[in-house]
Amino acid sequence: MSSGTGDQRDVTDADVNATNFTTSEDSLLQVGDLDAGYGDLKILEEVDMNVEDGEYVTIVGPNGAGKSTVMKSIFGLTNVMGGTVEFDGSDITGRMPEDIIHLGLGYVPQSDNIFSSLSVLENLEMGAYILDEVPQERLDEVFERFPILEERKGQKAGTMSGGQQQMLAMGRALMLDPDLLMLDEPSAGLAPDLVEDMFDRIDRINEAGTAVLMVEQNAKEALRRCDRGYVLVQGQNRFMDSGDALLNDQQVRQEFLGG
Amino acid sequence: MDVAETYSDGRRLLVERPAVGLLGVALLYLFVDLMLRLANVPVELMGVEVIGGTLAVSTFGRFLLDGLIVGLVVGLAGVGLSMTYSILNFANFAHGDYVTTGAFSGWIAAYLVGAFTLGVEEPIGRLLMIQAPSLVSAFSSPLAIVVGIILAGLGAVLTALFLDRIVYRPMRDKGGIPLLIASIGVALALRYAIVFIFGTGSRGVTATGSIPEVAIPTGDGTIPMNLHEGTLIVAAVVLMFGIHFLLQRTKLGKAMRAMADNKDLAQVTGIPTERVIRATWIIGGALAGIAGFLIVLERGTLSFNIGWRLLLLIFAGVILGGIGSVYGAMAGGIVIGIASRVSLVWIPSDFARVAAFSVMILVLLYRPEGLFGGVKTA
Repeated sequence: MSSGTGDQRDVTDADVNATNFTTSEDSLLQVGDLDAGYGDLKILEEVDMNVEDGEYVTIVGPNGAGKSTVMKSIFGLTNVMGGTVEFDGSDITGRMPEDIIHLGLGYVPQSDNIFSSLSVLENLEMGAYILDEVPQERLDEVFERFPILEERKGQKAGTMSGGQQQMLAMGRALMLDPDLLMLDEPSAGLAPDLVEDMFDRIDRINEAGTAVLMVEQNAKEALRRCDRGYVLVQGQNRFMDSGDALLNDQQVRQEFLGG
Repeated sequence: MDVAETYSDGRRLLVERPAVGLLGVALLYLFVDLMLRLANVPVELMGVEVIGGTLAVSTFGRFLLDGLIVGLVVGLAGVGLSMTYSILNFANFAHGDYVTTGAFSGWIAAYLVGAFTLGVEEPIGRLLMIQAPSLVSAFSSPLAIVVGIILAGLGAVLTALFLDRIVYRPMRDKGGIPLLIASIGVALALRYAIVFIFGTGSRGVTATGSIPEVAIPTGDGTIPMNLHEGTLIVAAVVLMFGIHFLLQRTKLGKAMRAMADNKDLAQVTGIPTERVIRATWIIGGALAGIAGFLIVLERGTLSFNIGWRLLLLIFAGVILGGIGSVYGAMAGGIVIGIASRVSLVWIPSDFARVAAFSVMILVLLYRPEGLFGGVKTA
């Protein structure tokens, strides 16, 4: 997984220009020169990013850097002003979320990511809304991955604990067996002893072959586990390298990881 | 919990919320009074009747039945108001006029079918109720009533969809207040479009002489209930169970609840939000139209402002039940209906609405979120 599988590129040249990032033609997700924001307000500037099949990529950076905006823009929820987003060979720039889901891209927003008045089972059924029928084998797989959800499938989702709600949100996104799962701060709001468990679960989802793109506040832990990371600052890519390389980079450590 | 604790809890409640204590005393008085009246026990003090009196059980039963009838109609119409509130985020003041539109569409259809099946000779203009009342007794033809119910729903649905397309959809993202104001405009436009075609006169729609009746015995008399009322109760209850089934068991219903719960997530999950909104208008509109047809069936008169007059009660029921909750709208409507009729035990009928709104205000004092508030069933 994480440790040293990515090639250790030299990042002594701290201000890597975004255009210097290597991108392969057939990346699963390919974001190029993306400008995006809300209304007239531009948050992202010329963001380049790519995720390969089965890869585990994280986006870290200070508050307000636009980490969540990257995900929303990929999913068609912001005003995209320039650049392109390609997923699995198709151009999805500015497309509706319901079209994007069909292509195999799953998204778990940061907060309010469950239907709290619906039961656990109904939440998972909604995850498969675009299919004619709820796929039983996917439901079984989600229950196998998160046994607590099967135990509580009749319970109202809003009455579960924060960790369980996060599992349900992931389970809902996994109902369509996505090729890429985008997670916006999966550890937010979790009790400290649950954070580790949540990251372990994400590892296992990735090990099963699903590519993961994750935004995290908990930067050290995220970089330790991922294949590759991006450091986003003020809406721009500042650093990109393997997780370990970023963890060991002095400037990244000092500026963004608290020494 | 032991007695002392109960006592201190009660005391705290009284100190912190005196209105609740007052309400309790008032309710207790009314309850005792009602029981004494039903037992025909007047209690006099210095020649003044202070509590109790005489009230036939059958009279009281009739009040309850009337209240239930009004309540079912208010509840049925309230479902749509509550659904559009929770899914589209605005209070639709035109909802009452959807009720009227449904009533007119339904009764025109009923007359046409009635005249056709009964072989009555009437000019078509009168069957369409343009300016003058029709003289066909549509109720003599059960088919006319069934067709009327369906066409009432259909008429209101088409109206609701048309108005959504030209008014509400272009304003979808403008927020609740502009939409609310727009809906008041829509309400006026719709009402006076109806006046323009049908005039302001109120017309009788059914011949009242020949309606079959059953009498429910109560000991000191009977509660009469006619076939119109029976039809109304059955239709309303069936529709309410239908809504329950739809919301809990069908994919569409679950999507509606999901969208009421969290619109952004519904979109991200791939729920086609515009389709769900259309379904909301269809269901809410159909129920409003049918409610309009049924209340006219029961009352026997039809005029351009029945929906508008009903709207206040509908709002009261929806708010009492917890705005946004479909079950709250049903329960709240029934409570409002029964309160407005049972109040006739104590006050003249002109004040029935006062009683209904007092009950709403008192319930909200004790439970500001409404009976089903926070439950968010859709």
